[in-house]
Amino acid sequence: MSAGGGAALGHALLARGIRASVEARGSLAVLLPLSDPEAFADAAVRDQVLALAREHGFTHVAVELLGAPRVSGTNAP
Amino acid sequence: MSTDSGRPASSEPALMDWFREQGSALVGFSGGVDSTYLAAVALDALGAGSVLAVIGRSASYPEVQWENAIALAHRIGLPLLEVVTDEMNDPRYAANPSNRCYFCKSELWTRLIPVARERGLAVIVDGTNADDIGGHRPGRQAASEREVRSPLAELGFGKDEIRRLSRARGLPSWSQPASPCLSSRIPYGTAITAERLARVERAEAALRRVGVTGDLRVRDHDDLARIEMPAESLAGWIDPDRAVVLAVAVREAGFARVSLDLRGFRSGSLNILGGVATP
Repeated sequence: MSAGGGAALGHALLARGIRASVEARGSLAVLLPLSDPEAFADAAVRDQVLALAREHGFTHVAVELLGAPRVSGTNAP
Repeated sequence: MSTDSGRPASSEPALMDWFREQGSALVGFSGGVDSTYLAAVALDALGAGSVLAVIGRSASYPEVQWENAIALAHRIGLPLLEVVTDEMNDPRYAANPSNRCYFCKSELWTRLIPVARERGLAVIVDGTNADDIGGHRPGRQAASEREVRSPLAELGFGKDEIRRLSRARGLPSWSQPASPCLSSRIPYGTAITAERLARVERAEAALRRVGVTGDLRVRDHDDLARIEMPAESLAGWIDPDRAVVLAVAVREAGFARVSLDLRGFRSGSLNILGGVATP
């Protein structure tokens, strides 16, 4: 899945009132909420996001957790 | 009488008879639901002098599972041997292809065959059950090539029945969630290293300490950890005040970024991501 797929999913989410940037990692969409991260606590919202992601070719969706400073660089061993 | 799956209902007496026909057995033992039940029945049927449970230990075998397996074996009086396996040094395994399990199980059974021979044990068995038939199971080919038997599968024992029979025997393993090896956290094509395995193990242990329960996996996407937890737990943990606890725990384990899978725990998740299975 290309970055274009991520952008398209981002637009689709915005059309439904969900503001998030989307990073495409193959079939995984990583969402960074730009507002109201607590909205994802609602199962109906999660179902809607998952359905939209499937329509855009993603098999997995994960929301990035912040709240603590992100570590710069990678820690991949 | 049939089970809900339509298979003929299996019976523990049939399994006991199966073992008696063999005379002695080496049980590939992980401490999981299936191998624990299998070993317990073997012990009943054959006696401690004719059964040996063997744990294959490597960096992919979670420490907590190893401790649990030892405790279980002691609890039921199961003769136990530990063998170190070396699949990590097999480049065919370490490359993490979609048939990785074939190389892992090949290494395991290759190590166990001489043990069975030296101790005069008639058959090597594993805990594969009837529900494991089908799906993506390359490890089964390795077992088949080395004449490892799977009596639970052969006699039609499904997972639910094994749990029920385990509970009836008083085995604490009856309610254990599935516990695949740590390599199952690494997407196909990403090299398996001891460091990656240790990192996911640390992350999962940290999440358990902060209170995550049930089926839990930390999937390794290089810099990014993707947490899979029971779907019914998501609402409680996705609240920003609680999510920060997850993020801190997993970052301290060594991941730069932390994410939470919105669908929740999915068995075989990386098979789907890797295109080996369909969603």
